[in-house]
Amino acid sequence: MIEQLVDEARAALITRAAAEDLVRVGYGVIDSPLGALWVGVGPRGITTIHYGDEPDARELRRLLRTYGPGLVPDAKRTSPVARELDQYFRGKRRTFDVPVDLSGLTPFQQRVLRATAKVGFGDLTTYAVIAKRAGNERASRATGAALGANPIPIVVPCHRVVATHGSLGGYAGGLDAKRRLLAIERGDDVPEGGWPPAKESGRR
Amino acid sequence: MQPALSFGELLERHELELYRYALRLTGTRHDADDVFQDTFLAAFRSWPPPRRDNERAWLYRIATNKAIDHGRKRRRIVSLEDLRLAAPQGDGVSLLDLVGAIRVLPAGQRAAFVLRRVQGLPYGDVASALEITEVAARARVSEATKKVKEAMR
Repeated sequence: MIEQLVDEARAALITRAAAEDLVRVGYGVIDSPLGALWVGVGPRGITTIHYGDEPDARELRRLLRTYGPGLVPDAKRTSPVARELDQYFRGKRRTFDVPVDLSGLTPFQQRVLRATAKVGFGDLTTYAVIAKRAGNERASRATGAALGANPIPIVVPCHRVVATHGSLGGYAGGLDAKRRLLAIERGDDVPEGGWPPAKESGRR
Repeated sequence: MQPALSFGELLERHELELYRYALRLTGTRHDADDVFQDTFLAAFRSWPPPRRDNERAWLYRIATNKAIDHGRKRRRIVSLEDLRLAAPQGDGVSLLDLVGAIRVLPAGQRAAFVLRRVQGLPYGDVASALEITEVAARARVSEATKKVKEAMR
C-alpha cells in the first residue's frame, strides 16, 4: 500500500525533474515472451534493450558516461517501446518507429549497428556482409564482437546476422532467444544449428 | 573510486525509507509527498552526493530540512489513516507515540525522535542528518522521548 504512494510520488518527482531538464534517460522493465527486458530511452531514442531486469555494469557505465547521472525509472518514456515490442512479438509489427540512439559507442560499432538496422524483417545476413557494409570486410570477428555488444537487440536486429557457414553464430540473449526471434519472423521452427544464410548473403 | 551512481539507483535504494520518514515527520500523505519530492529534487540538483558511502545520511539531512521548512508553512494536521501506512515497526514506539511526537514536539526534536526511535538510524547518522554533534543528538533524542512519554500519559 505504501509502495503505491511511493510510486505516485516518484512519478510526480520525475515529471518535475524532467521539467528542470535533470532527466536524460528514462528506464523501465517490460515483460516479453523472451523474459524481462530492461529498456532505456534517451533524448534521441532507445539507448538500451537489455535481456534481464537490470542493465549489466558495462552498459550502466556507458549510459552514465554518455548521459550523466540523470537516469530514472520512467514508464512514460518507455511505454512507446513496450507497445512496439509487444506488437512485434505478437506478429503485428515488422519495423520499429521509435528511433535508436547509438551515442557513446565507437564509430565502428555505430557503423556495424547501422548496417545491421537495414537488414529487413525475416531476412538473414552474415557477419562478413555486415563487416563489409561497415567498411571493413576483413573485420568479421570484430563485427561479431560489436554485434555481441549490441545495446539495442531486437530493434537493431542482430538476430538476423548469422555465421557464413550457416550456423546461428552467437547472441547476447542466448541462442534460444535468437531462434525464437527468427521463428517469429520466418514462421517455421528454426532447425538446431540455425538456417543457412539466405538471399543477399547467400554466396559462400 | 566508487562506480558512478545514477539518480534512479539512489531512488531505488532509498525511496521507500525516505517516504516513510517524510510521512512520519509530517503526519499526512499530502505533506509527505511534497517533502519526498523536494528532497530528491534537491539531491538531483546538488549532485553528486558529498560522500558516496554516506548518501543515506545526506538524503536524511535534506529531508529533515525540507520537512522543517514545510512545517513552517502549514498547520500541524495528522491523518491517522495515512500515518498507519508508515506505522512504527520496531519495539518501544507505538503509532500513538508517533502521533504524539508530531503533535507536541518542535521540528528539530521531532526529527531526532523519528530518526532514532522510529527509523532506527545509528546516532552518527542522526547527528549527520541534524547537522549537530553526536552528543547533542543523544541529548535531543532523550529530551524528545521524555516529552512524548509525558504527552501520552
